[in-house]
Amino acid sequence: MAATDVRTQPVLTPPPLTEEDSARSADRSRVHHARLGGRRWRLMWLLVGPGILAMLGENDGPSMIAYASDGAQYGLGFFLPFIPLLFAMAFVCQEMCMRVGAVTHRGYGELVLQRFGPVWGWFAAGDLTLTNLITLVAEFVSIRVGLAYFGLGSGVAVALGLTLVVFAFSGGRYWRWERIVLGMALFNGLFLVAAILATPHVGAIQFGRLPGGTLNTLLLLLASTIGATVTPWMIFFQQGASADKGMTPRDINHGRYDTALGAVLASIFGIGALVAGAALMTGGGAGIGGFAGAGFPEALKLVAGNGAGTVFALGLIEAGAVAILTISASTAYAAAECVGVTHSFNAGPRDAALFYAANFGVALVAALVILIPGAPLLSIALNANVLATVLLPVSLVFMVMLANDRELMGRFANRRRTNVIGVAVIAFVAIAGTAYGIDSFLMATGVIGG
Amino acid sequence: MRKQPTHDPDGLLRHGGEPRRVGKPVLHTVEPAAERELIAHLEPDQFVAETSRPVPRATLGARSVRALWALRVFAIVVSLMVIYAFIEQLS
Repeated sequence: MAATDVRTQPVLTPPPLTEEDSARSADRSRVHHARLGGRRWRLMWLLVGPGILAMLGENDGPSMIAYASDGAQYGLGFFLPFIPLLFAMAFVCQEMCMRVGAVTHRGYGELVLQRFGPVWGWFAAGDLTLTNLITLVAEFVSIRVGLAYFGLGSGVAVALGLTLVVFAFSGGRYWRWERIVLGMALFNGLFLVAAILATPHVGAIQFGRLPGGTLNTLLLLLASTIGATVTPWMIFFQQGASADKGMTPRDINHGRYDTALGAVLASIFGIGALVAGAALMTGGGAGIGGFAGAGFPEALKLVAGNGAGTVFALGLIEAGAVAILTISASTAYAAAECVGVTHSFNAGPRDAALFYAANFGVALVAALVILIPGAPLLSIALNANVLATVLLPVSLVFMVMLANDRELMGRFANRRRTNVIGVAVIAFVAIAGTAYGIDSFLMATGVIGG
Repeated sequence: MRKQPTHDPDGLLRHGGEPRRVGKPVLHTVEPAAERELIAHLEPDQFVAETSRPVPRATLGARSVRALWALRVFAIVVSLMVIYAFIEQLS
């Protein structure tokens, strides 16, 4: 207090600076100097992050397994154009998140809670926590499947996942956390390498052909593939991370490049998993049965050789590890935002105790589940995406409402074209999720046959 | 007393209400020159002191509230269907 009294008073009284302000300002200083010096690539390097992480984080274990299973069961025809289409949809949603975060400097959960009331805020956080917990279990399963290829067990998967969570946020800076996860996320490209090594027969490429099987199977495929591309955690994560990174309205164009680059990379790598999976179909391999039994990498090894199996196994470990970091971060943002306490990687553990506790705690709970003997891990992994699809429309509706809120967004609010596309995406996701939910329920209760 | 919402020069709605609990200020550890440098690179509404103040509640019409509740109930019902079917598959 005494130090404050004796210093020279500036013209405008500044707000009290926190450790979080100080760290964020240092990052903004580099952005400012890069922009001032006209260093375009440097500026791009500084501003990319949340978009790529949201998109590549969503290329997680269950998603890559879903893509590979699609390829193994149905070939490439339908899914080769469908995956890029889904990532185009994801871009529309994520661009809105980035824009709202950059303009308001606030996270999604925080804004829903404050703008629409605590009931809606807590519902959103509840949905997120449920789907995140299930998805995180699936991420640990994915690491375990990958490690099993190298003869390692569940204990190693748990230790690896939790160590990474602690290591990533140990620096006490958003920038450091983001760069660690970004560096790891680029190894999602291993699925592309696996596809090149697997080289399925060209006959598997049947453009425009719908997958066969029952209606329920087709709906499950649609719902799980949509859930592999657009999910509630991405909304919380990208908006929270954009605000935490310190993005401003001046950075919106770079935020769009970041999100678009993430969508393109995720689409290419997702297709890589699809193509690698298709080798199981065209090579007369074990297909989905191989995954359920010895594991996908093992099945791929039998058909395409040890190299393809090894790369695919490493890819599953990477996909699970990156998603554990991003999904637990999204849970932490949501929990701390809804409680109304500090929610930033730029704040220290003392100032943001709940944020860091939620970050680690949700990963710990998920890790403990995979240690339970006899837990139906594979079923959990495959159904995680479906539940995310079912709950997604509610999150998307609030996202569109926030992005249209002219009092919050001013001239950065949604334009008509974005709204039309946004509403179409919501309708598509809702119809796919609902159709699967109703159909599977009617089958489970015996009202209709399989 | 609840702080009234304000608008910035761009017409964007700013804070209203009490701030959330935030980190301890570090002002006393920063030299005045360094502090000015820090402040220069953050937008006024980007400081923790500012973002910790809640934005005011939006006014939703009765139809919007009903539509949101309908969507919420619908999402819960379909989620329960999916969870039920999942449990049935396991057994």
